[in-house]
Amino acid sequence: MPLLELKEVSKSYQRSASALHVLEGISFTVEEGEFVAIVGPSGCGKSTLLRIIHGLIPPSSGQVLYKGRQVDGINLECALVFQSFALLPWLTVKANVELGLEARGIEPAERERRAAIYIDKVGLDGFEEAYPRELSGGMKQRVGLARALALEPELLLMDEPFSALDQLTAINLREELLDMWQSPDLPVGTIILVTHSIEEAVEMADRVLVMGRNPGRIVGELTVDLARPRRKRTDLFNALTDQIFSMIEERG
Amino acid sequence: MKEFRTSSELSLSRAFKGILSLLAVAIIVALFFRLQPRLALGRSELRVSLSQIPYYTFCSLYRVLIAYFLSLIFAISYGITAARTPLAERIMIPIIDVAQSVPVIGFFPAAIYFFISLGGNTRFGIELASIFLIFTSQAWNMALGVFEAIKTIPTDIAEAVAAYGGNGWLRFKRLFLPASIPKLVYNSILSWVAAWYFLIACEIITIGDARYKLPGLGTLLMDSAETGQVGPLIAGLLALLFVIVTMDFLVWQPLSVWAEKFRYEFAAGTLTPQIATIGSPLAPFVLRLVRAGASVVRLAWGVVKARMPGWYKRSISALLSCGALWRAIRRVLGGALIALVLYGAGDGLVALIRVLRRPWPAQAHLIPLAAGASILRLMIAYALSLAWTLPCALAASESQRFSRRLAPIAQIAGSIPATALFPLIVAAVVELTGNMNLASVLLLLTGMQWYLLFNLTAGVRQIPEDLREAVRAFGLSRTATWRKLTLPALTPSLITGSITAWGGGWNALIVSEYFTYQGHHYQVLGLGAMLDVATYQSGDNLMILLALLSMVAIVMSLNRLVWRPLYRFATERYRFD
Repeated sequence: MPLLELKEVSKSYQRSASALHVLEGISFTVEEGEFVAIVGPSGCGKSTLLRIIHGLIPPSSGQVLYKGRQVDGINLECALVFQSFALLPWLTVKANVELGLEARGIEPAERERRAAIYIDKVGLDGFEEAYPRELSGGMKQRVGLARALALEPELLLMDEPFSALDQLTAINLREELLDMWQSPDLPVGTIILVTHSIEEAVEMADRVLVMGRNPGRIVGELTVDLARPRRKRTDLFNALTDQIFSMIEERG
Repeated sequence: MKEFRTSSELSLSRAFKGILSLLAVAIIVALFFRLQPRLALGRSELRVSLSQIPYYTFCSLYRVLIAYFLSLIFAISYGITAARTPLAERIMIPIIDVAQSVPVIGFFPAAIYFFISLGGNTRFGIELASIFLIFTSQAWNMALGVFEAIKTIPTDIAEAVAAYGGNGWLRFKRLFLPASIPKLVYNSILSWVAAWYFLIACEIITIGDARYKLPGLGTLLMDSAETGQVGPLIAGLLALLFVIVTMDFLVWQPLSVWAEKFRYEFAAGTLTPQIATIGSPLAPFVLRLVRAGASVVRLAWGVVKARMPGWYKRSISALLSCGALWRAIRRVLGGALIALVLYGAGDGLVALIRVLRRPWPAQAHLIPLAAGASILRLMIAYALSLAWTLPCALAASESQRFSRRLAPIAQIAGSIPATALFPLIVAAVVELTGNMNLASVLLLLTGMQWYLLFNLTAGVRQIPEDLREAVRAFGLSRTATWRKLTLPALTPSLITGSITAWGGGWNALIVSEYFTYQGHHYQVLGLGAMLDVATYQSGDNLMILLALLSMVAIVMSLNRLVWRPLYRFATERYRFD
């Protein structure tokens, strides 16, 4: 049984006269341990799709199955990393990381232990008592990542996590994420990454789902069989990015 | 994107809603009048004396404090409920609009016929009534502040809390409450100013022959004005000032500094006008002290929690996280409320019809004229306020130094309850010119000008620095800078300030158009005076009802027809984003 299965998921918003179709007939599966990237132009509904997978937004029609069971409400086995970081400005780094743990009723001692581990893992040791406004963008996203990892989720959902960062920071953080994902002591096995950067998708993922817009739908799928760490601008790499680019051009 | 209804539909449903809320007010007031025959009205007399000033200060302070905590609880629960469900919003926000337009004296029937009778005509009952009256001058703007704060929580922050499973108690603690704090602190300061301003009307409660007095600074001020004793008057004013300044230093300034922590980062220029902190040297000290106190409490709580038996802890956390239970409680309470409202509506309607069928008093036909006179007075007072606050704001926009000097002076001056000065103003003006109309306009001014000043100076601070630089770089002249940058940038603050100033002005009518000094009643033709005479002198239910309804109707129509469209226009046309 796949970890995640989407069956004909559609989302539309009712306007006064007509309906606005954001997503139409989206079906795919994600196996346990996979790193899947969803790539598409802005406005193709990929962030909405991620929120439907998480259960933050209900689909208008179709089904989201998690381990064979229909997702109804927020799926607590997932953790979401936001493009805008979405840290609570009034909480310290530590309290932000503990947010999800507190919601799951974990005892304070265990919360602190886990928060410490993951704050350390993302390299923010010593910043536990800092407030988000005192951190740089890269550090904020590290907090966002620690907050997600601390839940030790089966499925990590990432909504354009690197696109609000400067390029150098983004490169570093991508590498670190890959290292963490590949290291055996990280409990996160499966990742879905939403991005508008084709290069990022090819660099990171095992499999790339390509989306087009109006309405948002899947226009292609591609397996990336390159060995990690992947080097950009090799012929193979370029061939893959070109292929995705033409999928979006022709069918998007 | 948006659906547009035709304008006739819009105004029809608006007018219908307006009439409905008027009817609701009428029914509620009539309902309280209906309680009257069941109650033996009383009088409680009290001789004020100078040596009692510390005791009076203590009494007034605890009254405002209790009313404030009730307002706080009310504002948080009301604001969150209204912001969370669209249906609740459609009902609850108009209720606040109406409540805001009712002057404190309009709550006298409820205070006397309900609260005093609830306490059985004892000191306790009168205290309840007085606290209720103070509550009505504090609660509404705080509730609106919470409502706005919840409504403007950024989507990603709300989503993050939802995604990480924050629900119920945790969502309240981690999201709703902290998100509300900047607006709550700002509105709390305004509410305390309002409470002190109307204190003189809240400690002596009168309808016709029923007259209740409580020991307190408000009573002291009123009594010494009525008998014309200047000594106690000034002593009372000084005591009040002492409390206000002390609280400002020990409570409000540290709180304003602390509230900054709860702002979103991008929100450098949000709509909450920050009250400029004086930068009192005490603020950091007090904050440290409170923080130390809080950690002691937290430590103690930790010890207590560790000692608690497991089942107790589990049952508490289960209780807090048990959504079904809370939903059930809410449903039961909601059902009871609806039943009560339905019963009250039927009963009140009967009472209302009975009151209205009585022969109308002769003064009733003067109401339109009185309303016109009141509006004219408010317009003059508003023009006078604008005439000095706008130049002040322009000057503040040009000079940092002036802005820094202005802020603390304005804050202290604005927090002095001018009502305490009324006897002196009335005495001086009436003595000099023999004209109560002039005195009345001056008194109204005190209830309007600060709102304009605060909002305008806050608006000045929100003008982005890069725009100022751009204007300087292009070498615009002074008047051109005003025309191209400062005035347009100040327009939203000007409108917001005007709305609050007019709201304050309408409420201040009842203390500005009718005044007793040295046993002499000074009054002018106006809606406020009419309501005062009907309440304080004749106690004529029908006249109270008519004057009150006229006032509420005028305030609400002005809000809907003038201020809200202006506000919408200004925020769309002149905002920075």
